[in-house]
Amino acid sequence: MIRATRLLATAITATAALTLPLRAQVGAILVRGGTIHTAAGAPITNGSVLIRDGKIVAVGTNVSAPAGARIIDATGKTVIPGMIDNHSHIGAKSTDLNDSPMLIGPQHRFLDALDWNDPDFQDAMEGGVTTIVTGPGSGENVSGMAVVIKTFGTDYSKRMLLEKGGMKFAMGPKGRNRYPATAMGVAANLRQYLIKTQEYMAAQKKWEDDGKKGNPPARDLGYEAMADVLTHKTYVRAHVHAATDIMTLLRLKDEFGFDLALHHSTEAYKVAPEIAKRGVTAVVLPLGDRIGLSDDAMAGPYILWKAGVKIAMHTDAPVINQKWLRLCAALAMRYGIPDEEALKMVTANAAEIARVSDHVGTIATGKDADLVIFNGPWYEPKSRIDFVIGDGQVVYDRSKEGK
Amino acid sequence: MRRTPFLSITTALLVVSASLPAQERAIAIRGGTVLPVSGPAIPNGTVVIRGGKVVAVGANVQVPSGAEIVDASGKYVMPGVVDAASYIGLSDGDLNEPTDPMTPQNRVFEAYNPFGTFGSGQPAPLRNKEALSGGVTSQYLAPADAQLLGGQGAVLKTAGATLDALVVREPAAIDIALGTPPKAPARAANRDPFTRMAEAAMLRQLFIKAQEYQRNKSSNATLPKDLGMEALGKLLRKEIPARIQANNATDIRTALRLAQEFNFDVIIDGGAGAWDMKDELAAKKVSVVLGQVSHPYVSNEEIPDKEDYPKPDERLAGRLTNAGIPTALATFSRAFSTLAPAGTGKWLLIDAALAAGYGMTDDQVLKAVTLVPAQILGVADRVGSLEVGKDADVVVLDGPPLSVKTWVQRVYVNGELVYTK
Repeated sequence: MIRATRLLATAITATAALTLPLRAQVGAILVRGGTIHTAAGAPITNGSVLIRDGKIVAVGTNVSAPAGARIIDATGKTVIPGMIDNHSHIGAKSTDLNDSPMLIGPQHRFLDALDWNDPDFQDAMEGGVTTIVTGPGSGENVSGMAVVIKTFGTDYSKRMLLEKGGMKFAMGPKGRNRYPATAMGVAANLRQYLIKTQEYMAAQKKWEDDGKKGNPPARDLGYEAMADVLTHKTYVRAHVHAATDIMTLLRLKDEFGFDLALHHSTEAYKVAPEIAKRGVTAVVLPLGDRIGLSDDAMAGPYILWKAGVKIAMHTDAPVINQKWLRLCAALAMRYGIPDEEALKMVTANAAEIARVSDHVGTIATGKDADLVIFNGPWYEPKSRIDFVIGDGQVVYDRSKEGK
Repeated sequence: MRRTPFLSITTALLVVSASLPAQERAIAIRGGTVLPVSGPAIPNGTVVIRGGKVVAVGANVQVPSGAEIVDASGKYVMPGVVDAASYIGLSDGDLNEPTDPMTPQNRVFEAYNPFGTFGSGQPAPLRNKEALSGGVTSQYLAPADAQLLGGQGAVLKTAGATLDALVVREPAAIDIALGTPPKAPARAANRDPFTRMAEAAMLRQLFIKAQEYQRNKSSNATLPKDLGMEALGKLLRKEIPARIQANNATDIRTALRLAQEFNFDVIIDGGAGAWDMKDELAAKKVSVVLGQVSHPYVSNEEIPDKEDYPKPDERLAGRLTNAGIPTALATFSRAFSTLAPAGTGKWLLIDAALAAGYGMTDDQVLKAVTLVPAQILGVADRVGSLEVGKDADVVVLDGPPLSVKTWVQRVYVNGELVYTK
């Protein structure tokens, strides 16, 4: 399974356990003759994608290969953007996901627990998932900052797309024998912390406005991190199931003005108009076949979509193996979401909600050259991935994998 | 036509088994692509059911006069799906005894609570709507894996008039779990087993005790009756097999060793590391019940202990099948969220379809969720394929069963229409 590029990688990094796109042969690749689902418009039949230097440089039906370009024949195949999983917990030990005694710990950064060489990333990539949001768990009401990273490569600075990848909130009492044990307590506790953050910011601003005389106010990492939320440098990613807790989050958003994405969002469909009118986005419950949901809940994403809420899918990996992200969208399609809209929920929408749509999420000129080539429809369980292209390099080639 | 003599047999059965719903009027499901599973697909085929049984299957079947005609043109008709491992219908508090690692006297049937978790909201008739919506008509239920030996499993239908009418086989197996799951609660309570060594020793001692009990019983008619020892007697006399959850090769070896020492039949549950043991499994004709292709971890933990599992390999079901090892794909599903009723049986076909990308033919995949589990569970005389004389458990789908866009439209159990989309 070791490829030439990988052997080279082993030579230059002591920890290379992953496949990686090396720039050993920076050259153009033309993916030719497939059905291109761009996630930005209608599918292009018999289309081609030209990529060079890690970027997409041309998309369409009339794209020719420059001299020396590698040709990948995609005739009869399906090409989609590299998929984006908007919510997962891979790359860290399970014991590093929650600092439960803390309860509110915005100062925690997933980056400080991240193992870039976790084999789970390889698995995700082989499933066509090239970008992920991975972050702290839901054991606290605020558990820290997620990161948005690519799943392939050994150049960590290149893999990092967004270091402030969203502040994780988790609603709902956690069943502890301490405050807060009720939904009311959780709401009051969060509101109090947000008010303290405002006061912290005001004290800092006053010191600056007064000409920075004397010692600055004492720094507090937690309030500093939450200040990034209140100043829109990042946004709230809120683990939430119950409709009552969703309404609490919407009220907090109204009061404090932060940007909000609902996560899991099990009962979001019950309050869809409230979510839609505020422009709040939703990352919907993993619809993988491990999670058995009633048809009402399974149809939730369709109801949200109909109401105009921008939604994305997630695996919650390792709850569902990240490589099966596409099945989450496929199952949502069963309940009425059209094919191309479902595709956006694992590509374009996921990128927008994760705030990385400048780089990834669609097949368009100037975007990162992250592509997945299937031997059949992307949503059918039987279809297999033949190629994954990441940052313009072939990072997975099934013909070389023996699977 | 062999229809007439067959009907008389069916009628006789109905007299004996009054709990089966008697559908005297025949139903002819006509014009669909019939996938009998036991044989090749029949385009434009007909399935006739009557008296709770399949009475005819084929391309040129004479429909009895007065039969209800179900037009299945453009649709697919297949046998009810058999989920070879499930916990649906058992409440969390009833999955395992927390204080005793080995309770062979416990019968899962007596914890089965269709009213609480069937999801129909109706007290009767009994309908496991979530399983039925995936075409699942039979399932094996057992105590969960927080004990070494949880008790006796059962094969039950997912719909029926009464609880008794659901039973296909009870007890169907002695249910055992090796590896981390039985150790975790024991360690928390500071009791045995702490290790795999203790797991094997405790089971071995129990089986020896059961052997001694059977011996004493045959020579002493007044020996006090021990329910657990009686149940294990069925195992030792090969009336029922052991279902042993064993995922890595170490645990599979232990399972095979115990079966050989005490001369009982064994079925491996989970079996994530079964490929390492393929030669021995094939030689001993041991069957394997795998978990979901997309989620092969069959334990209860949200994030399972990786010590028990090799890296998931989607090729496993195909490789085992092609090596001649009877291999079923099952859900091992149980309630996950209190906000939504669990019922992952509804996704069994779609999950199994993944295996068709990894070295299995469509036919093999369908068999792995119908006839193969029926054979493994010892109920293939009644379910698992569309054959004359078998239970009329029939599923009508609006497309090929392995497509994600296909919906189950109608489900018949024992000849009774119990689910429509």
